[in-house]
Amino acid sequence: MMLFPQAPSHRAFRVWVRHLVYYRSFYLAEWAGNLGEHILWLVAFGYGLGRLVPSLDGISYAQFIGPGLMVSVAMWNATYESTYGAYSRMRIQNIYESMLMAPLTVGDIVLGDLLWCASRALIGSSLMLVVLSLFGLVGSWWAVAILPILFIEAVMFAALGLIATSLAHSFSFFNFYFSAIVMPMFFFAGTLFPIKGLPLWVERFSDALPLTHAVRISRGLFIYGHVENFIWHFSFLLGFTFLFLAVACVLVSRRMVE
Amino acid sequence: MPGFVIDAQGIQKSFGTLKAVDGVSLQVNPGECFGILGPNGAGKTTTIKMLHGAVQPDAGTLRVLGRDVATQSRLIRAQMGIVSQEDTLDRDLTVYENLWVYAGFFSISRKSSLSRIEYLLDFMQLREKWDSQIKTLSGGMKRRLHIARALIHEPKFLILDEPTTGLDPQARHLVWHRLRELKAQGLTILLTTHYMEEAAQMCDRIGIMDGGKFLLEGPPQTLVQEKVGDEVYELRGGASEELLDSLQGLPVTAEVVADILYLYSHNGMGVMEHLISWGRKDFLRRPATLEDLFLRLTGRELRD
Repeated sequence: MMLFPQAPSHRAFRVWVRHLVYYRSFYLAEWAGNLGEHILWLVAFGYGLGRLVPSLDGISYAQFIGPGLMVSVAMWNATYESTYGAYSRMRIQNIYESMLMAPLTVGDIVLGDLLWCASRALIGSSLMLVVLSLFGLVGSWWAVAILPILFIEAVMFAALGLIATSLAHSFSFFNFYFSAIVMPMFFFAGTLFPIKGLPLWVERFSDALPLTHAVRISRGLFIYGHVENFIWHFSFLLGFTFLFLAVACVLVSRRMVE
Repeated sequence: MPGFVIDAQGIQKSFGTLKAVDGVSLQVNPGECFGILGPNGAGKTTTIKMLHGAVQPDAGTLRVLGRDVATQSRLIRAQMGIVSQEDTLDRDLTVYENLWVYAGFFSISRKSSLSRIEYLLDFMQLREKWDSQIKTLSGGMKRRLHIARALIHEPKFLILDEPTTGLDPQARHLVWHRLRELKAQGLTILLTTHYMEEAAQMCDRIGIMDGGKFLLEGPPQTLVQEKVGDEVYELRGGASEELLDSLQGLPVTAEVVADILYLYSHNGMGVMEHLISWGRKDFLRRPATLEDLFLRLTGRELRD
């Protein structure tokens, strides 16, 4: 308490509940939108573009991108909620400020927001899992094991988004964040095309991206039911999750307490 | 002996080169209503934000409800209600959801929060707005909901930053009435205001702040008596040099502002006769108010 007066605690759950109460007023529309978007991606890329793509390591193009889209959906959802959503709560609606007038700490608010972003991302990705299984693109029951890993991945990307939010001075900052961070992450994580065989520096760059490790885990679970170097990939995700969480707490504190 | 609710010693806060709060010391007793008056930019809001830890003092010691704000702000906030100047209601939620979610931040159980919400919505005359969206509420309703939210956990101490600014007279009087009821129940209140009438009606003691410091502090009536007098004479159209000179021997202080001569008097009897003997009957004679004191202390130039 003395050393870290803004440290997170179990009260983060109350912040999560606030977001859930709001979510109740629009979740059906969001689910419908999510489902439509997932199907569109799969049909347009998996089957549209996929006709031009020869089979990769004995699997179809739709099978190849399905697991990657799964973890990308979690990244996109968590990022939207932790940038546009959190910025609105922090700077426009003064919701963080009102929470800091109650006995909550900045850490409670940050953790509660991140858990919420991850929950919402998990719902979006679960709908993707449903779509993928309806299209017969899930090769192993182990695919379900991706959900807890997705949750951690979403907390990580939400924390990164919240770091951007704490540095932003207007919504337009997020255009930069999406173009400079999120889009390259999406393309170079091996989501839509294999990275192996590209120039070495591209491979190295890809290996440094957190999303790459989530894609590797997801693809392994979906297609083969096991993941090579799981511990390495998982540690990478977990390490960055804690790092981003700590940085987000510090930066948001700086923004909220003068 | 119960301790002070607020015990501030020499607190300071600068933003860049601006000294927002420049050595404020303040003690507020349990059950007391203390008002901070001051023009815009005097340091009122910064002082208030320091009390709940949203702004950290650069220097000085600050204890609220017996605890050190620097290290125990969260525990202090658990016993304190805050009505901020700007709107911090949750526009994504309904009236009821606003209170229910906020009760959760204080770890109040679902069952006891429900009865507390019913009581507070009745108390603030918002019962029929239970399911309304925040954007459909009038300014007065929003402010009442703010106060209801600040009372959700039965705090020992309530802070209000300009609680009635921007409200119409009906809404303002309802807020004053409710705050007086709360005070009668023993709640300690600290408020900032621009309305001298509000301070005079509500506060046991006031402090007049300017340039980040308290210029004066004490019970409003006593301060007015001591620093201004009993009565004020206002002469529109000013007065001649000769009339001003003739006032020298009388127990009055004269002040000329634009085209008005103000005479502040401790014993008005002689003044009225004097003015009449000079052929002036166009004066306004009225009791001295807090506004006279305020303007005399903080000057008359605009502060925006």
